[in-house]
Amino acid sequence: MDFALSGESKMMVKAAKDFALKEIEPVTEKIEREDALPDDLLQKFAKARMLGMMVPREYGGIGSSALNVILVAEELAKTASAAVFVMALNNSIAETIHYWGSEDIRQRFIPSLCDGSNYASMAFTEPATGSDPTAITMTAKHEGDHFILNGTKRFITNGHKNGSGVFYAKDETEKVTAYMVEKNTGGYTWSKPWSLMGLAGQGLVDVFLKDVKVSQENILGEPGKGFHILLRWIAGERIQQMAFMTGMGQECLNQSLKFAKERMVRARPMTAMQGFQWMLAEMHASIEACRWWTYRVACMQDAGDDFQIDSAALKLFVVPTIQEVARKALQIHGSYGYCKDYKIERLYRTIAHAGITASSTELQKTIVGSALSRSKDI
Amino acid sequence: MDIIVCIKQVPDSYDISWDKSTGSLSRQSTGAILNPIDKNTLEAALTLREERGGFITAISMGPDQAEEVLREALGMGIDKAILLSDKVFAGADTLATSYALSCAIKKINRFDMVICGKESYDGVTGHVGPQLAEFLDLPQLTNSTEIAVKKNKVLVKQKIEDGYRLLEASFPVLITVGKNINQPRIPSMEDIMDAYREKMIDIWRGEDLNSNTEGFGLNGSPTKSQSVYVKKLEKGSAEILKGEPDVTAKRLVEILKEKGLL
Ligand SMILES: Cc1cc2nc3c(=O)[nH]c(=O)nc-3n(C[C@H](O)[C@H](O)[C@H](O)COP(=O)(O)OP(=O)(O)OC[C@H]3O[C@@H](n4cnc5c(N)ncnc54)[C@H](O)[C@@H]3O)c2cc1C
Ligand SMILES: Cc1cc2nc3c(=O)[nH]c(=O)nc-3n(C[C@H](O)[C@H](O)[C@H](O)COP(=O)(O)OP(=O)(O)OC[C@H]3O[C@@H](n4cnc5c(N)ncnc54)[C@H](O)[C@@H]3O)c2cc1C
Repeated sequence: MDFALSGESKMMVKAAKDFALKEIEPVTEKIEREDALPDDLLQKFAKARMLGMMVPREYGGIGSSALNVILVAEELAKTASAAVFVMALNNSIAETIHYWGSEDIRQRFIPSLCDGSNYASMAFTEPATGSDPTAITMTAKHEGDHFILNGTKRFITNGHKNGSGVFYAKDETEKVTAYMVEKNTGGYTWSKPWSLMGLAGQGLVDVFLKDVKVSQENILGEPGKGFHILLRWIAGERIQQMAFMTGMGQECLNQSLKFAKERMVRARPMTAMQGFQWMLAEMHASIEACRWWTYRVACMQDAGDDFQIDSAALKLFVVPTIQEVARKALQIHGSYGYCKDYKIERLYRTIAHAGITASSTELQKTIVGSALSRSKDI
Repeated sequence: MDIIVCIKQVPDSYDISWDKSTGSLSRQSTGAILNPIDKNTLEAALTLREERGGFITAISMGPDQAEEVLREALGMGIDKAILLSDKVFAGADTLATSYALSCAIKKINRFDMVICGKESYDGVTGHVGPQLAEFLDLPQLTNSTEIAVKKNKVLVKQKIEDGYRLLEASFPVLITVGKNINQPRIPSMEDIMDAYREKMIDIWRGEDLNSNTEGFGLNGSPTKSQSVYVKKLEKGSAEILKGEPDVTAKRLVEILKEKGLL
């Protein structure tokens, strides 16, 4: 067992930190104000070779590991900005297309995700459900050598931005299949972005497909395999998301330490008071546990092990743990933490998202609980 | 244009500890980073190569773990990395450091320009660049904030106390650069991977540079640290002088004189 990061990984973390300071931190206020990410940010990610990191170089990626991706994500997440999601989605979706896609699909869809010319989307959620994949209503009708897709997808990150998306729909057999859809082609429209509690600039829209024609060559994996594809993607996405949470938790602690060292209470800094020291200690211990478990599950993914149950258990632990870290950070800051001038305010709102997206915390309990019940070890 | 860049690994925290017996830094105890100005040094070389083509070699003298800063330099885009690592280099003062670097540069032989940082983050002597220029018998353009190459000449804008000077020299030349000269690039994830997986670092020992290793390390260092100590701040009692300003001012001057502070 080796807990040391390689020199390569450490240098990636350093580069990600420099990137966050140079390219993201200076625009976070503008992003909050305009609720939109700068147009050139995706290109900057591409130039830093942070997109499609796990995809082999022949498709435009760099052939790196899940561990390196989440290390970069953890560092970028300290900005508490939706910018990180753009990077993460282009990574996880490119990896999914590479894992399931035919050679033709890989060639057509992956390079543009890696070079930053296209935004990736993953479109599963619908108005009636986000948790139950069997309940989706988008339809795919087979007509000759193509399919006709109809229906509405809800809360689709970057659903309005040019690029490709993986859309989940049911055909006549009622089975769910994943289709590669070129966004913004005939019959593809979208709503104005939802205004969110946090993650300004996330670009969450409803997408309406009206007789959108999709070639049968664009089926990702096999027909009827959509559910598998979705679950495997979500399992990987969860690890990334927990890396964000770890990074944001760490930033909560950093901000709290800075504040508590400077803030005087009865002529002594807050850090001299045991009550606050204990809070800081608990925050630190919580973050360390989240960090190393997240790294461990990413290593399982790299080793080719089945990591779906582990990533569910990870989320079950990390989400409430880091949400508690954020609560303590707000408490330490007093009213300053409730003001937009302080970063804690944004961190707190951003951290609130994680129990809901990429499958809710409750569902992780079901996944882990039922796996334990099925296990024959005991 | 062939450029040699000298880069140094330095401790990354304020928490630097000293080896009391030798009077030198204990490098094992802290994390280590590339000397911040040396990022600018590398960027200056990379920019010149982009404009004029050429080949960049980075040299660092230090223990084995100084390999890390050369990997970083490779990630930023240099062509070749050389680590001067040997027990005989240990305990070098700035003269012995410059001497070892000069031997390595003489061994490389082919170069148009040597670039150093203005000063290191830990030693902060600013000796190495100028001493190196003397060993190599090169014109030295120090504390540059801009570098331009015109035909067979190099022009730099040098920051001096109350303004700037424009200096010109012919090749080969040694230049030292300050922090404000440029914005160092951030290596891409792909280049970082290549720096670790595809690139080699040459390791040169003392005898690779000179059969006579007398001039290296502690042996070659005329500077000897007598002792090192950490400044202690002790809490004393405060004396408050009361009375007319001219009387108290006089008294203050007397006290300062008594304590040898004036
Ligand atoms: C920032 C953000 C980005 C998003 N990006 C995307 C995207 O790119 N693509 C996409 O498809 N979706 C996206 N979503 C949508 C998100 O994934 C869904 O909203 C989420 O899966 C929850 O679905 P729901 O809102 O329909 O809630 P519901 O499924 O209605 O769940 C509501 C509540 O009921 C609980 N619940 C539901 N079913 C069960 C059950 N069987 N047992 C126990 N409890 C249950 C849930 O845990 C939750 O607490 C995004 C959402 C956000 C906020
Ligand atoms: C008696 C004595 C013993 C010492 N013992 C040790 C010891 O055991 N271990 C130890 O690490 N240090 C030791 N030092 C410190 C050592 O002398 C300096 O670190 C070194 O000479 C560089 O000086 P500086 O840091 O002031 O560099 P500066 O002159 O301020 O640096 C300017 C530039 O010179 C170049 N440069 C400087 N050092 C190097 C290098 N090593 N390789 C490549 N380029 C470089 C870089 O471009 C840098 O930006 C000792 C010093 C003394 C006086």
